Amino acid sequence: MSRPMERGSASIPVKVDLRKTDSPTRKSFSERMVEYGEVDKEFVVFESDIGYSTYSYLFGNKYPDRYYNMGIAELGTMAAAAGFAADGRTVIVSGYGVFLTMRAVEVVRSFICYPHLNVKILSSHGGLTAAIDGVTHQATEDIAYMSTLPEMKVLVPCDTVSARGAFDIAMRTPGPVFTRLMRDPLWDIYSPEETFVLGGSKVLRKGDDITLVSYGDIVFQALEAAEILRSKGIEAEVIDMYSVKPFDAETLLASARKTGAVLVAENHQKRNALGYEIATFLFKHRVGTLDGGRRMLFDNLGLDDTFGESGNYFKVIDKYGISARAIAEAAEGLLRKR
Amino acid sequence: METATRTNKSVEDQVAFLKKQAQQVRLHIVKMIHKAQSGHPGGSLSAADIMTALYFDILKVDPQNPRWPDRDRFVLSKGHACPVWYVCLALRGFFPVEELDTLRQFESRLQGHPVSTKTPGVDATTGSLGIGFAQAIGMALEGKWLKKNYKVYALLGDGEMQEGVIWEAAASANRYKLDNLVAIIDNNNLQNDGFTDSIMPIEPLDKKFEVFGWTTRRIDGHNMEQVLTTLREAKAHRGSPFCIIAQTVKGKGVSFMENVRGWHGKPPSDQELAQAIQEIEGGLK
Repeated sequence: MSRPMERGSASIPVKVDLRKTDSPTRKSFSERMVEYGEVDKEFVVFESDIGYSTYSYLFGNKYPDRYYNMGIAELGTMAAAAGFAADGRTVIVSGYGVFLTMRAVEVVRSFICYPHLNVKILSSHGGLTAAIDGVTHQATEDIAYMSTLPEMKVLVPCDTVSARGAFDIAMRTPGPVFTRLMRDPLWDIYSPEETFVLGGSKVLRKGDDITLVSYGDIVFQALEAAEILRSKGIEAEVIDMYSVKPFDAETLLASARKTGAVLVAENHQKRNALGYEIATFLFKHRVGTLDGGRRMLFDNLGLDDTFGESGNYFKVIDKYGISARAIAEAAEGLLRKR
Repeated sequence: METATRTNKSVEDQVAFLKKQAQQVRLHIVKMIHKAQSGHPGGSLSAADIMTALYFDILKVDPQNPRWPDRDRFVLSKGHACPVWYVCLALRGFFPVEELDTLRQFESRLQGHPVSTKTPGVDATTGSLGIGFAQAIGMALEGKWLKKNYKVYALLGDGEMQEGVIWEAAASANRYKLDNLVAIIDNNNLQNDGFTDSIMPIEPLDKKFEVFGWTTRRIDGHNMEQVLTTLREAKAHRGSPFCIIAQTVKGKGVSFMENVRGWHGKPPSDQELAQAIQEIEGGLK
């Protein structure tokens, strides 16, 4: 059940129903890319030999003359995409986050962001969603790299509906856009009519005691954490910050001023990602001390200056402190400081 | 777009014209780097004859419409040699020749390495070795996809043959049959730290490109007749990507810079400039 609310950039459901899905966001993004390819015949897709994993092969099957598999060569692939986009054309580059955001990061910076080219990065296996594959395949620093680059926009959808929405945002936003996607299917929360915008967010649950901010797969953990907290008499507000850069400062600020406590949980290194961004933002906006001298509470969860490991996704995210249990415990701990 | 520089003259007459033009290019290179007191003279001078032939005979470009969709593309993969490129662009009328004096200066359109969003006529931002060549692959792919007739020319340094991405790009040119792509290697055998042979050998370049599916030619990169006729052959060539390995001398035209490691990225002093001008003008006779 859901009903429209006033805050933020779009309608928000009050009670969120999690629906199991068998489609990972990487697949939904690629499926939307195929649909969009019918309408917009001016863009092309570059792949570096993991098309059957990112599902970009679906596009290649339908539009073979607009699909370039450049082989296992992420650096050359990204640079060739820049060349194809040099006169303004939109080019989508598909691959795994670890390779696209690190092996090819210099090309993304100097030859895509700097000349403001319309290159859209489909980046799969974000964070520990690639848990089973081990550290070499877990992009746990991608948000830091990409959000640091001038001109770059960063999106992280949590479900199949917002993954399709992220594709549409990327296509209608001029310049480079990075979209982090997941390896495995989790849940759906949005109805197909839901709309998403650059710089937008969704308040998924209203609460007065603490604001839980997240994006991507950890949104589900935050929602479950809110249920755990409710059983202990704590009402948490949960924000899906699917637009990580730019993020919805207005919604965040309103929620932070209301609850006086912000906990950011992300599937990423703690350093230099959304948690740091929000902490800086809140401090700059003098939210450090609330009306009446009450101290603003803040904490952020993520990989604490460490690497992940192979294993079952749910066990791994729990060990590294971004599961519902860990978020609920951190929230309680934070509120005890009040 | 035909321009005054493209003529129906005989090869001999065109070679004579290009030789004179190349000396003008060299004069501007040493003057602008002296003025900036910063820049890369050695690799600019070694490429001067090739760049002159490209800009005053081969390339189909329109200075009044730098982003003309049907133009030939040019990518300077050895981006540090941009003084030679800026000179050619200025002499072709993309921007005023006086602007060459602003090289590397605050708020100049002529940045230390080429920037597509700032300088008219610069099709791709470059400066990180190997990446320009890989971008040229994408430009050639787009030309093929659009079924356009333009060609993509990339000028590469020999030192950047040491970059792995060069060989990713070389392989993809063969895979996609990019016969609209011409790579010219400015084979001056010197890189920042010393002779290429001693730092990290790259030869045999012709054989390497051949086994990657390219048609290759080895030429004397300062023999204007060879440069011109080989570039014209490359322009007309169909069926495979085309690679010209041009044997050159780093610092060509200025005796104290020729084949000397230290002139990779060093500006001349007042006295050195005077001597350089004298030697280059002397070569005009």
